Amino acid sequence: MASELNNPSQRLVENLASKLRRRQVVGSRQAALETVLVLRQVVSKARFSKFEQLVEIIRSAGRRLVEAQPKEHSVGNTVRKVLHHIREEYHTATKGRASASTRNAFSISKFVLQGQPRKQNVLTKTDEKGTIKENDPDDPDSFARGLKPVLMEAIQDVLDELETVYDNVSKNARDHIHSDEIILTIGKSKTVEAFLKSAAHHRNYTVIVAETGPSYSGHEMAQSLSSAGISTFLVPDSSIYALMSRVNKVILGAHAVLANGGMFAITGSLLAATAARAHSTPVVVCAGQFKLTPLWNLYHEYGALDFADPSNVLGFEEGGLVDKVDVINPYYDYVHPELVDAFITNDGDHPPSSIYRLIKETYDDEDHDL
Amino acid sequence: MAPKSSAADKEKLIDDDDVLQAVILADSFNKRFKPLTTRKPRCLLPICNASLLDWTFESLALAGVQEIFVVCRSHADLVKAAIRDSKWSKPSSGIKIVPIVTAKGTFSPGDAMRDIYTHGIITSDFVLVTGDLVSNVRIDEVVKVHKERRKTNKDAIMTMVVKESGAKHRTRSRGESSVFVLDAETSECLHYEPVTGYPPTTHTRVPREILTAHPELEIRNDLIDCSIDVCSVEVPSLFQDNFDYSDIRKDFVHGVLTSDLLQKNIYCYVAKEGYAARVKDTRSYDSISKDILSRWTFPLVPDDNHPGGHVYEYVRGNKYISKDNTVTLSRTCTVGNNTLIGSFTQVCNNAQISSSVIGQRCMIGADTIIRNAYIFDDTIIGPNCVIEHSIIGAGVNIKEKSRVEKGCLVGDGVIIGPQAVLLPFERLSKRRAKDIDEEDDSDEDDDEDEDDGDEDEEDEEEDEDEEEDRNDEDEDSEVEEVEANQDKSVLASLGEGSNAIVWPRATLEEDEDIDPAEAPDNQRLMRIGDNASDLDLSDIGSVTSSEDESETSDDEDEGSVPNFGALVSSSSSSLPLSPSTGLAASADARLESEFKHEVELSLERAFAEGHSVDNAAVELKTLRMASNVPLIRVREAVVGAIVERINIVEGGGPAQRKEITNVVARWGTLINQIGGVDAVETVSVLQAHCATSERMPLFGQILAALYQDDVVEEDDIRQWHALPVSKGIGLKPGTTTDNIKKCWSVGTHMIAQFNEQSDDEESE
Repeated sequence: MASELNNPSQRLVENLASKLRRRQVVGSRQAALETVLVLRQVVSKARFSKFEQLVEIIRSAGRRLVEAQPKEHSVGNTVRKVLHHIREEYHTATKGRASASTRNAFSISKFVLQGQPRKQNVLTKTDEKGTIKENDPDDPDSFARGLKPVLMEAIQDVLDELETVYDNVSKNARDHIHSDEIILTIGKSKTVEAFLKSAAHHRNYTVIVAETGPSYSGHEMAQSLSSAGISTFLVPDSSIYALMSRVNKVILGAHAVLANGGMFAITGSLLAATAARAHSTPVVVCAGQFKLTPLWNLYHEYGALDFADPSNVLGFEEGGLVDKVDVINPYYDYVHPELVDAFITNDGDHPPSSIYRLIKETYDDEDHDL
Repeated sequence: MAPKSSAADKEKLIDDDDVLQAVILADSFNKRFKPLTTRKPRCLLPICNASLLDWTFESLALAGVQEIFVVCRSHADLVKAAIRDSKWSKPSSGIKIVPIVTAKGTFSPGDAMRDIYTHGIITSDFVLVTGDLVSNVRIDEVVKVHKERRKTNKDAIMTMVVKESGAKHRTRSRGESSVFVLDAETSECLHYEPVTGYPPTTHTRVPREILTAHPELEIRNDLIDCSIDVCSVEVPSLFQDNFDYSDIRKDFVHGVLTSDLLQKNIYCYVAKEGYAARVKDTRSYDSISKDILSRWTFPLVPDDNHPGGHVYEYVRGNKYISKDNTVTLSRTCTVGNNTLIGSFTQVCNNAQISSSVIGQRCMIGADTIIRNAYIFDDTIIGPNCVIEHSIIGAGVNIKEKSRVEKGCLVGDGVIIGPQAVLLPFERLSKRRAKDIDEEDDSDEDDDEDEDDGDEDEEDEEEDEDEEEDRNDEDEDSEVEEVEANQDKSVLASLGEGSNAIVWPRATLEEDEDIDPAEAPDNQRLMRIGDNASDLDLSDIGSVTSSEDESETSDDEDEGSVPNFGALVSSSSSSLPLSPSTGLAASADARLESEFKHEVELSLERAFAEGHSVDNAAVELKTLRMASNVPLIRVREAVVGAIVERINIVEGGGPAQRKEITNVVARWGTLINQIGGVDAVETVSVLQAHCATSERMPLFGQILAALYQDDVVEEDDIRQWHALPVSKGIGLKPGTTTDNIKKCWSVGTHMIAQFNEQSDDEESE
């Protein structure tokens, strides 16, 4: 391992790790994209003669990134996804030989999984079959040489998926939003923004945007929506409950979707979701697949995951108060699965109860712990 | 192989790009953290379990600095070793760190800057920070602004980063702050004035030119000076040219702004976002620790981007517990808000910890209470202890039932107790006796690599002193002196088996000429746990309520506080003057008497050696400029000297008149050459002088002589005569007043003569 730690791709990993740690890369999609790009470099520079070596290389890089910023779950998800795709490619490339041992293991947990058609099977590269040979003593690089183009393609798939995620999430927008509906949203989520804008091409509807203190990202969101020609209201957070009786649908973004169907989302989401529950208003969450996280909420029950600096709540210049008041500024809320009605992903629509299955399909079980 | 290529890459990168350089002054040049800093420099003291230097590096790395020069003086090998072992010197960090060891003769930041100049390492605009900075301000933004400004204005040599806070913010030093006068539009710094907390600075003087030149001004006393300066290349050379600059703010900034010759501008950058502060003293150590724990420094917080690389878990209520499952918290212990507990630390039953930082591998005994305390690594606190508002060094052993009251500083390796009682603000360090040292070596060696090799007597030095050159022996002698002057009764209270020595409390030594900011009373405002409620800090126009009513002032320090209140009330009858004006007045009076003496000497020389009037006038002008006294003082002195020059001739008569005429003819014109003609004042001054002098009877004759020589005109005498003061009105009765009245009547007589003369002329 030590030799690999010093090569240029390792520097890339370290570089991204420190950027993540310093929050110079923020936002789950941004982080996911950066991660894929780094992993592509890592794979293209990696030297390996066995598949397990490659997996270990990717995992160690991934581990480094996840440790650097455990709160940005999309990093770990992307690493898992890449591993999953690479395994797929490997198994198809060497079909019949290496895969036999792993595939035949029967287990209840994989019962559902094995019944599913695998999407990536379509991409099978039959022409390469048989030419790839592991642990070739004559030419140790031959395995890597043979496999790399396939791997690159697999990573490219992940990258493409990330790049088109907004389009794919919003392609069914008009089926969810009907004419003359009133939609409530909170915060500025790029996915929700794209979703609403795409629906606006077909439907005429109204959006109520909550200000979303203390970051007030709702201001930006309202501006963006209204400039796209959607009739938009910006309301204070405190009026969410009062307005809820008129709202037809609540559409939220997510920071991470957890295995139980709950999610981390910007502060205020819990408030909106709870108010919606009280009025039996449906709550719909738009999220790309890269936000699916094989984890559970291990943090606080309400305020969750990440606590930002108090300056948005209490200005630093309020010198007299700073000493006497403890200000907590949670960045995310944990919204439990009972409050969510549907997740709209780039992989179709799902109820919270089937998120676990989506996760099983997307990632390999052995990668849950990187 | 690989590292070499990476280094080569970096070289290329440096050539291509404009490298952002930074200079860290890793020495504090004072001794506010004594005795914690006897064995290691301040920049290696941990704050929230990472050394200050690491926080500084992280702050700079955040700004994308690529090359850092660390200027270290005291304990330079420790600093170098710390840099070498840290993650920053790995190639992956992307930062090149070069330690620079300056001579032992470097006693101020100014000396360090001159040293940087001689090294010739600075190639472009650079960031100048101190080695005790905690910041998440986007310094690269400041650099961008600075460079942009430089394009249009070559004279903008420096940009200081300041942070808005309330005047009463805990992180804003009460003892040492500053008033900035900024142009509201360009935020150019037009005037800078340091402010000391005690005696409270109540006035600031803004030069009149500034008011006329700039339509809109901001005079701000609510800024935290982050001591992040973006400097241009010429800044070190300016220090080189002005060898007397020692402090960057008080001397350099002030010097540049007041200089007519330099024509350079300094700008301020008021940081709206982000956090930046310096650990200047124990009080700011306390408040910055609290700021970090309450996440003002986000994302630079223990659970996110801890500079020391530790991983902490954030628990509700701003509690940070080391995440690696090595912390043992008893089921019955209480961990309060704003607390950080390092790895491998053990907290026993019923212990209470709140608002504190506990280092790694510490042991907190049962039923112990720790409040607002900072405990460094490897320290053992016995059961039933109470520790409040204190900083406890590394490897300390406090045995059972001890009490450490607020404001104590306990140096590394000290053993106290059992049942030791530390008075508030006590400072302890380890006795240097050989046998104890060796014993402790074995204790400390396993985890404190930094301290290795430091146990040598030779290496032991303090990292700070601001006065004369003290070499190693002097340092030793200071510790020896402390050791020699131990009070047995105090030592007894530390418990048997203690290896501690007690440091003396700061007292004001009259003859010592020190920076007002370092004065003991002012230092109290910078001390951890000291609310300084016994110091009179109120200034005119603002009423300060006492901060903590519950806390009583400590008796120990009361003796050292001069009681200005009493002094003022006796000297001034009606107006309640603030202490500082009383002080200022006495200082002025001293200055003036000094000046008077100087003038007398100078005139005596002129009389004796027969200088020309012009030469004497030039000399007087120079004296006036040097001592900055008003013109009237010069006039008083000159008139006085001339009057005293006149010999009293026995019997009076024509001989006396001749003598007077001689002297006045020779020197009288000097009175009008001292820099302003005000004959009325001259007569008043003459009157006042004569009234207290034995030459009182000569007043009329002298006045006549002056009149003859055209030093005073008839109108002037009339005007003087009309002044109420000249008649002695409003003065207390006494001989002086009588004399003044006599003088006035002489004047009356003279005016009568004038009137007669004019009548005569008219009649003719």
